[in-house]
Amino acid sequence: MDRTGADHGAQLFDPEFLQRLETLSLVSRRLVRGQQRGERRSLVRGRGIEFDDYRAYQAGDDYRYIDWNIVSRLDRVFVKLFSEEEDLDVHLLLDTSASMAAGAPSKLALGKRVAAAIGYIGLCNFDRVGVTAFASGQGPSLARLRGRARAFDLLRFLDGLEPAGRTDLEHALTRRLGASGRRGLLVVISDLLNPRGYSAALLHARHHRFQTFLVHILADEEIAPQLAGDLRLIDVETGRALELTVDADALRAYVGARDAYFRDLETFCFRHGIDYVRTTSSVPADVLVLRYLRQGGLVR
Amino acid sequence: MTLGAPAALWGLAALPLLVVLYLLRVRRRDQPVSSILLWQRSAPALAAFRPSRRIERSLLLALQLFALAAMVVGLARPAVLGRAVAGRDVVLVLDASLSMRARDVAPTRFERARAEALAVARRLEPGQRAAVILAAPHPVVLASLTTDRGTVAAALRHAEPWDAAGDVDAAVTLAGAMAGSAADSRVFVWTDAARGAPPAAAGVIYHVLGTAADNAGIVAFRVLTDAVRPEALVRVANWSRGVRRIPLDVHLGDATVYHATLAVPAGGTATAVFPVRDAGVLHAHIVTHDVLPEDDDATALVASSPLGSVLLVGRGNPPLERALRVLPVARAVETATVDPAAWSAFDVVILDRIDPGPLPPGNYLVIGAVPPNLPATASGVAARPEIAAWDRQDPVLRFVDLRDVRIDRALQLAVEGGRVLVAGATPLVWEYTGRGVRAIVLGFALGDSDLPQHAAFPILIRNMLAWLSGAVDHVTIGDEVQVPAGAATAGSLTDPLGRRVDVRATDGAFVLPPFTRAGLYRFSTAAGTRTFAAEIGAPHAGMIRPGRAPAPLSAAGPAAGTVLVHVPLWPWLLLVGIAALLGEWALATRRRGGDA
Repeated sequence: MDRTGADHGAQLFDPEFLQRLETLSLVSRRLVRGQQRGERRSLVRGRGIEFDDYRAYQAGDDYRYIDWNIVSRLDRVFVKLFSEEEDLDVHLLLDTSASMAAGAPSKLALGKRVAAAIGYIGLCNFDRVGVTAFASGQGPSLARLRGRARAFDLLRFLDGLEPAGRTDLEHALTRRLGASGRRGLLVVISDLLNPRGYSAALLHARHHRFQTFLVHILADEEIAPQLAGDLRLIDVETGRALELTVDADALRAYVGARDAYFRDLETFCFRHGIDYVRTTSSVPADVLVLRYLRQGGLVR
Repeated sequence: MTLGAPAALWGLAALPLLVVLYLLRVRRRDQPVSSILLWQRSAPALAAFRPSRRIERSLLLALQLFALAAMVVGLARPAVLGRAVAGRDVVLVLDASLSMRARDVAPTRFERARAEALAVARRLEPGQRAAVILAAPHPVVLASLTTDRGTVAAALRHAEPWDAAGDVDAAVTLAGAMAGSAADSRVFVWTDAARGAPPAAAGVIYHVLGTAADNAGIVAFRVLTDAVRPEALVRVANWSRGVRRIPLDVHLGDATVYHATLAVPAGGTATAVFPVRDAGVLHAHIVTHDVLPEDDDATALVASSPLGSVLLVGRGNPPLERALRVLPVARAVETATVDPAAWSAFDVVILDRIDPGPLPPGNYLVIGAVPPNLPATASGVAARPEIAAWDRQDPVLRFVDLRDVRIDRALQLAVEGGRVLVAGATPLVWEYTGRGVRAIVLGFALGDSDLPQHAAFPILIRNMLAWLSGAVDHVTIGDEVQVPAGAATAGSLTDPLGRRVDVRATDGAFVLPPFTRAGLYRFSTAAGTRTFAAEIGAPHAGMIRPGRAPAPLSAAGPAAGTVLVHVPLWPWLLLVGIAALLGEWALATRRRGGDA
């Protein structure tokens, strides 16, 4: 039976949470160039109401924008410039590889709720929201939505995603950003457990001048493995096996590698102006959005 | 080290096989994980990825390898050459002299001797017999020849030195007699040879202990109750190389009754004599700071009444009755009834011209008769025997002048043992100690002589009673002490260290265990408690200068007591292997997620 959009919304969020999301908006640290008038400043100056700058009067300028107070004080003619308020392109990239099934609740479940929340905030603020699921390749995507009425489409899309395949962030980003004609806010939700690494993919987004926000989701057992004894670890994505004896020394070595990995990732993001938030799947979505993403500067 | 079956060492080839099996038998559990990325990144620092390292860290494998190696080597029957005690029969002789308590050898000479004897006992081979003899004033066999090592060890542990001079010669002779039946027997003697070189004999190995030579000690402490008034005598001997000035203190309870500093020449003695008035226990102490403090203290008893209680059994003897009324006896009772059961209540019983039958243990003055249980017989009567000689130095005859005494007739005595104090044609006064009896036999009736009319009479009676009543209270270490039992059947003897020994009466007397320590002994029965002051057994017991062992008569030299033997190691290796296996099993069953 096909479920309605309200059902999907109820499954991902409770109504109270949705109501709180409606009070938020996405933060774009860069002036964006949209296609339609929206609710944020644009690179195009003109018909907006938010004052931006002065410049000397040129022939053809609208007389209505001459600042007569300056004319009276300086005896020179200046016109006021206003920022055009345009809509924001929000690109949501959600990792749906097999590794996202780990955790309780699963990393994918949390990722879907975060994507839904960010997308819902964007729709409520008349931003254009597009969602792309990716694993080894680009998976199903949702065309750019606009307006609160499309929230149910967003939720229905997210609800239908299942974990499968291998992570290939670079491939997915290349395809997604190549298809996008406009820059905007890029939100990547992934566990980043990608054997090929993450740096090339994120540098690719930076090259396209996307404001990138990285939500790094890990399962609790990936932070602190509860393993012991002689084991044959099997990677659920690649199927590769690793034989080792997990004892106290092995766990200490794992923690060392984990911390080094986190340290490198944070350094990389800081150096390249990428906003970064790390969380575990056990953190509730509302806490993550209302507290950590707000602290991280993605929403306000 | 030798191997009885070296071919068994081929079994060590199983060790690498065990390692291979250990590697192969690891059953790894499949564990799906979201990614092995971080595990791979930790690999360079993770020793668990290296098989050799994992083997190295496996305590279980190490235990298995150790157990296997121990068992295989054990099957090769390894043995080492060790020293064992030579001879089929071995007799261990410990000198129990006072000098063996010297502390110049830690902890004491005797303790060192005991430890060495125990070491010899531990090296006894199965089937070897061993005995233990204590060279006390009389040799004491602590353990007869036995193959039971535990008995030998227990006898050695219970041995203790005496405050006397041990008779090492007699002990060695006895040991030789015990081990004499076997030609290859050995006698091990631990002594300090302080009182002369012990005898050399075949198969006797001496271990001489001690380094120090200087010592000074109290060699005599007595209360002379046979004097006109009680006097105490303290004699201090000095075995050091030079003259020593030795402080002497004598206490009666908390009161000091005598203090002096004695100048004692090297190798000589100094004596202090002083009067004592009050009854009690006298304690003498000298300050010497030498390695043998045991002879720095001595104890003596001052009886409340020096002559004790006297029972006169007879048909009336006025001179004797008059003397008893004059002399300081504690109590004097006269009776004509011969009741031996009542005699034990008196210190001295005077039997005047009666036939008492066998004497029960006790102290007796027998006049004109010879009890049948004494080693003396009366064969008729000697007429007018002349007094030919008497021992003026004997305490019984001190101050006694018998020159003008005439005797009309006396018993013709033939005595065995004892001492004849006054002799004429026949023993006229004879003293005997033994079989629980201390007795003086007067071979003539007082009425058959003019002795009561001489001044010597009361003095003689006093000396006799003093010797009879007071002698038992002062005993010498090594003496056999018998106490009349009377109606009592059991008693207990408490030594100066507070140790108690129960004693049962035999033939009307308590034969007390030998006194081994100088000091006060208390013997308690239902009738009361009697105190004995035991003094060091021999004047030369305190000589501690170690002597030299005689040259061995056999050609084997000092090492003749031991032989080289093969000591098998395989039982220990098997035990160690089994223990390692048990440990591995316990560890494996307790270890969660282990690789057992």
